[in-house]
Amino acid sequence: MMNIIIGQYVPGKSILHHMDPRSKLLAVFALIFIVFLANNWVTYGVIVILTLVAIVLSRVRLRFIYKGLKPILLVIIITFVLNAFFTKSGEAIFDYGWFHLTTGGLQQAAFISVRLLVIVIMTTLLTLTTTPIDITDGLENLLRPFKKLRFPVHEFALMMSIALRFIPTLMEETEKIMKAQTARGVEFSSGPLTQRIKAILPLLVPLFISAFKRAEDLAMAMEARGYRGDIGRTKLRLLKWGLKDSLLLLVVIVLIPVLVLLRG
Amino acid sequence: MKQTKRKLTALDMTYAAMFAALMAVGANIAQFIPPIGGVPITLQTFVALLAGTLLGSRLGAISMTVYMLVGLAGIPVFANFTGGLSTLVSTSFGFVLTFILLAYVEGKIIEKSKTRGFMIFLVASVVGLMLNYFLGTTYMYYAYKLWAHSPEGVSIVTYKMAWGWMLVPLPKDVILTIVAAVVSPRIYKVINKVQAGKSKRIA
Repeated sequence: MMNIIIGQYVPGKSILHHMDPRSKLLAVFALIFIVFLANNWVTYGVIVILTLVAIVLSRVRLRFIYKGLKPILLVIIITFVLNAFFTKSGEAIFDYGWFHLTTGGLQQAAFISVRLLVIVIMTTLLTLTTTPIDITDGLENLLRPFKKLRFPVHEFALMMSIALRFIPTLMEETEKIMKAQTARGVEFSSGPLTQRIKAILPLLVPLFISAFKRAEDLAMAMEARGYRGDIGRTKLRLLKWGLKDSLLLLVVIVLIPVLVLLRG
Repeated sequence: MKQTKRKLTALDMTYAAMFAALMAVGANIAQFIPPIGGVPITLQTFVALLAGTLLGSRLGAISMTVYMLVGLAGIPVFANFTGGLSTLVSTSFGFVLTFILLAYVEGKIIEKSKTRGFMIFLVASVVGLMLNYFLGTTYMYYAYKLWAHSPEGVSIVTYKMAWGWMLVPLPKDVILTIVAAVVSPRIYKVINKVQAGKSKRIA
């Protein structure tokens, strides 16, 4: 149950862990677009080296990064195969009917899969080294200007925190209701299709009603304690912007002209 | 529930947050219930449908947005306990996006209609499911095209194929949609009764 609360976060004491969530969020969002600037071996090399440096700095074990990669691995493999066999440019290495393996094709395949890999690794590193609560706080802070446009930034951040808090609770509740209904003779794991789906009903109706009740109790408690939006609200966890955060952003900003100069 | 005021009240927020949490449970209900006919159950569409019918268009859409944001922040709330910012580049992210639209459209249908009978819930749910499948699958197709960057003239993943994959969970979702239509008026009534009771007590 614990891993649901902390999400992908892997506790640690690396530089990346200690950075301000705002700088990490900004850097990752910028990098997603910057990666598209690369278009030859040198520029892709720069980006791959940067990614490797980030992995080393995070001191997160590779197993965790692989776990983040798994859902997208199939797309990367399809990408590689598609581009390797169907791009016709450069010298032919291998030619058989439909399949043409050319040097140009291989290069294209490598580039595009590396681009995808880098994007996924960067975004995974962010969620591996930052707790969801920190990300929520960072987002709320970064999006503050949108309040002027009457976008409820604070409210969204609060809803995210409440949802975070109640996911494990509702999971436990689901388990409890299932046990209670099994004791009353509901079969969850066998029987024909329609019966199985019917069995979900006595699980969901109490679950929804109890969720609504919890929501009402929580709102009552909030109001009783004088909640009135973010006006004059103070925070327990304060975000601290340090030198390393400025440095990270500097690296990202410098990267843009470097890539523009080096790209072919 | 009536949503005419612009500002979100504390109750609005707790409702939306609770539904986002219910989505997380629904997406991973397979942990508790073994697969039916080889297809692991997810109740995401089901919960999203109920968010639209029970919370209304505005709050329903808000709660689904919160669900998406929580997932992107790294909590494994999407199906198969996935999550994290990298989900943005996954091909099934379109489904997560359609939940927002689905809840909104459905809420609108219920709000516009005068009756609160089974039929209107059924119509809303079916429209929602169709939106979910149509837009989600189209997104998946284009995501494969974009990410996989297929060279010109070659399409390994055809539109038909994308639909072929989606046909597997379809029967289960159709049945669940009908179930959602049956359940939502019931829960709707219970909740409204509770609220009516509360306001009476206060008065």
